[in-house]
Amino acid sequence: MRKKITITAIFTIFSMMFMLLPAFASEAQAKDRLGWVGPVYTELSDSLNRGFKAYYKKTYGKELEITFVKPGGWPVCLDKVRAWGGKPDADVFLGAGAPAHEVLMKEGMVIPYKPKDWDKIPATWHGMKVKDMGHYWTCFAPWIVTNLYNAKVLKKLRLPPPKTWNDLLNPIYRGNIVHTLPYASGTMHETVEILLQGFGEKEAWTYLRLLAAQLPRFSTGSTDTTHITSRGEIPIGIAQPQMNAMVARRDGYPVRDLLPDKTILVPEAVALLKGAPNEKIGKIFLDWLFSMEGQKSVLEGGYFAARNDIKFSVWEKEGVKMAKHAKKALGVDSFWDLKVGFIEYDLDLAAERWDKVNRFYEYEIYRKWGKLKRSLFLIEEVEEEIKAAKAGKADVTKADAKIKEARKLFEIDGAYAAARLAASKARAFLVAP
Amino acid sequence: MSRSNLSLATVLWLIIGVLVIYPLSVLVIESFKITESGGWGISNYLGFFKDAYYLKTFGNTFLLSIMVLITTTLFGIPLSYILARYRTRGKTVFTALILLPIVLPAYAGIFAFIIFFGKYGTVNLLLMDIGIIKTPINFIYGMHGLVFIQSLHMLPFIVLSLSAGFTNIDPSFEEAAEVAGASGFRRFFTVTLPLCTPSYLAGAVIVFMWPFTDWLTPLILGQIDFLPSVSYINIAYHFTDVHRKYMGIVAVVVSSVVCISLFLIARSWVERKKYTGLSKGTTSEGRVIEPGSFLKVSSYLYMGFIAFLVLLIPIVLGLSAFSRRWVFEPFPTYWTLENFRVILTETPGMIKNSFLFSGVALFFGIIFGLPAAYIIVRTNTPGKNAMDFVITLMLAFPGIAVGVSYLLAFWDTIPLARYWIIMPLALFARRLPYFLRMAHSAYLQLDISLEEASEVAGANKFKTFMYISLPLLIKGVLIGVVMFFIMAFQEISTAIFLYRGGWETLPIGIYLNWHRGMEFGVAAAMAFLMIVIAFILLLIISKIGGGILKAAWGPGGT
Repeated sequence: MRKKITITAIFTIFSMMFMLLPAFASEAQAKDRLGWVGPVYTELSDSLNRGFKAYYKKTYGKELEITFVKPGGWPVCLDKVRAWGGKPDADVFLGAGAPAHEVLMKEGMVIPYKPKDWDKIPATWHGMKVKDMGHYWTCFAPWIVTNLYNAKVLKKLRLPPPKTWNDLLNPIYRGNIVHTLPYASGTMHETVEILLQGFGEKEAWTYLRLLAAQLPRFSTGSTDTTHITSRGEIPIGIAQPQMNAMVARRDGYPVRDLLPDKTILVPEAVALLKGAPNEKIGKIFLDWLFSMEGQKSVLEGGYFAARNDIKFSVWEKEGVKMAKHAKKALGVDSFWDLKVGFIEYDLDLAAERWDKVNRFYEYEIYRKWGKLKRSLFLIEEVEEEIKAAKAGKADVTKADAKIKEARKLFEIDGAYAAARLAASKARAFLVAP
Repeated sequence: MSRSNLSLATVLWLIIGVLVIYPLSVLVIESFKITESGGWGISNYLGFFKDAYYLKTFGNTFLLSIMVLITTTLFGIPLSYILARYRTRGKTVFTALILLPIVLPAYAGIFAFIIFFGKYGTVNLLLMDIGIIKTPINFIYGMHGLVFIQSLHMLPFIVLSLSAGFTNIDPSFEEAAEVAGASGFRRFFTVTLPLCTPSYLAGAVIVFMWPFTDWLTPLILGQIDFLPSVSYINIAYHFTDVHRKYMGIVAVVVSSVVCISLFLIARSWVERKKYTGLSKGTTSEGRVIEPGSFLKVSSYLYMGFIAFLVLLIPIVLGLSAFSRRWVFEPFPTYWTLENFRVILTETPGMIKNSFLFSGVALFFGIIFGLPAAYIIVRTNTPGKNAMDFVITLMLAFPGIAVGVSYLLAFWDTIPLARYWIIMPLALFARRLPYFLRMAHSAYLQLDISLEEASEVAGANKFKTFMYISLPLLIKGVLIGVVMFFIMAFQEISTAIFLYRGGWETLPIGIYLNWHRGMEFGVAAAMAFLMIVIAFILLLIISKIGGGILKAAWGPGGT
């Protein structure tokens, strides 16, 4: 009896599966289709999805099915397009800044297209490129590389919000700053590049070494950073897309934007993929994206709109909910009215040394992170001891010279072990000058 | 060795060829590509082993594996003994609870522990509020946290396998030992434990392999100096640095080699020491002891402790699921159903996809796994060991490698990846070892003489299988089915590389929402939903199978 029940049960399950199979098969072949690939947040893709579908229905009287593939940050998306090898499974590359689009262009993975309202997008802004003059890519959602902080946690810890890059090195922030690895996030890479170009290479690497010692851990990506910061686990997040503060604020998190003294613009852009299966609809989408209606969908999706002929206050009256938060977050009525401290950013140099910079960070800072911290902490300890000894009128000339040598070994040469050794020697000089 | 066995084996080999060997060889071939010249050679491997950093990650991973295995074993032996032997109330509930971590995507658990044990997590904030500590205690960031979280995640595997072992021991062996004067600890260490070795090893191998394949746990904790995490970062984020990608692939291949070697050693051990009784002088419940009151109380306390740690995951995720803006507070203050509204109204497809893909994968798994286990254990078909080897290879390959290799292999020449069927196929291939291992050890413990008797009595092979083997195997198979479905349900590493818009499953949904940054509530709500679904599944099956315990501790267990 039991055997029979078991066998019947198994066969029932099997046959049910067979019956269910066709029910799940995709029946949407008759619809028009459009595919996106890119790193934009789901909130934006959802908003654009709703907006464009409605527009398509209204204008062409047909249903549209939109697929969106987001395998990860933009380097991963780029790789996905590469893996497709000229037969893309999407029509439009949605999102990512200039470096990604320059690679797409150079590797021949995109084709030029000039959307209808193309001229409403500025060509450059404070020296930063906003669109490609050959129409390969056009920015639809600009943002600035910023840092975030959790106001509630900083207040409870009685820490003032850091204002400049150098503020972040203050020992009071030790253990309260987080960022990711430049090779795990486009935004973090940009930040390293900003520092390199803004402060000079030598100074920037010194800075990054010291900054690394401030972190309790690395995050896994720039969105992970946002996450950790919003939740307050670590209250200061470095290398963040600017609109994250706006969206987090709307969601009720006590997160504030920290426009640093040196930064750049990321022109989140769109491009048409070469060999796109639905090229025609892709072009219709691009036209719509730069129309007033499309740009409103961008803002409702938690990104700033790119057109230079819009005012948040006007949109707020027209019922665009996000306009209020945008105005509040930026403090100005249009994105392009922002007063910013942009550096002169050499895009070609950045693209050319992309891997080199990442590797340097990985080999010289990340891989030696443990040694780096041990070395710096010892140096700092000995420096305190020397200070105390000096106050006690002891002769610290030799120790002082040695500890300066240790600092130099650490900051300039990145020779952490040697720096640690020098610091120990300095300490020995304190005991026996 | 009959002709029907041979043709069956051929069909199975064909499937393996297409779904396992072909894509993985594409990956291995990639690992020998040289970036600079575009030629072939072993320079990637030389580079890998010359690099102190990669050696360090290798050492870290190995150390982590050992620590996780020791921890799970230490905590697992008493737990499984209690569950298998003592007559205690609420055994079913405790068992289901302790199995819970495996039904969750590992990283859902990590989120819960970060919220609870994190730097400004519930525990630290409470302790700081009371004034016991001034600065937060580091509970989870570092090796110790990884060992804790991974051990809790892998504990069920040890408990399942050891309990099955304890239950299956013929009581007469232990009774004989007791009659001969050995009792208590001596009997346990000289008779009971050694008899469990095959079952234990089946679980231990899975546990040991885990740190070599789990890239997400170390990553989320910000500890990336482990082989799988390094390979993930290198493969996923190499950008234009192709050399980095190849180093990632090499890391994947190296960890796979480690896993495969370990597996082979464990298996040869099991094969050499074949512990089966001709008749099982026991009920399906095995030997049950009525513990004394001291033992009873201690067992409850112990089970309660483990159950508490496990329950933290659904409780903390539940709190997050029904709230938002949980910042720097021991407990949330703003409650809402918004997260569930988002899931049910904006992304109902994810739930459907999860069931569809795992269901179809399970279907493939059963029609492939049962004959495969049969061929491997019961026949002398040439190449059966190779078949076992290749299938287990999938267990050792990190999901990301499977995902990448499938994408490489099934795009141009065989364009399978353009259709949704690739999702269940990949899940099937990736999770197959879980089902096969169960069926395999179930077969091992089923003495062949029973089948032979049936054939002598005139039944053909199919009839023998349906009326003799299957009913006797059914518990092992049932666990296999549950485990397979659950593991397919929570799979993310492979799926994340293969999914296309509209194919998102719940774990991918969690990942995407986590990546959106702010919407942790939605991710938590999805994880919570997964726990509920998985728990209901466990309950349903425990009803069908006359109690999950019986099913789990039957002759099949891992």
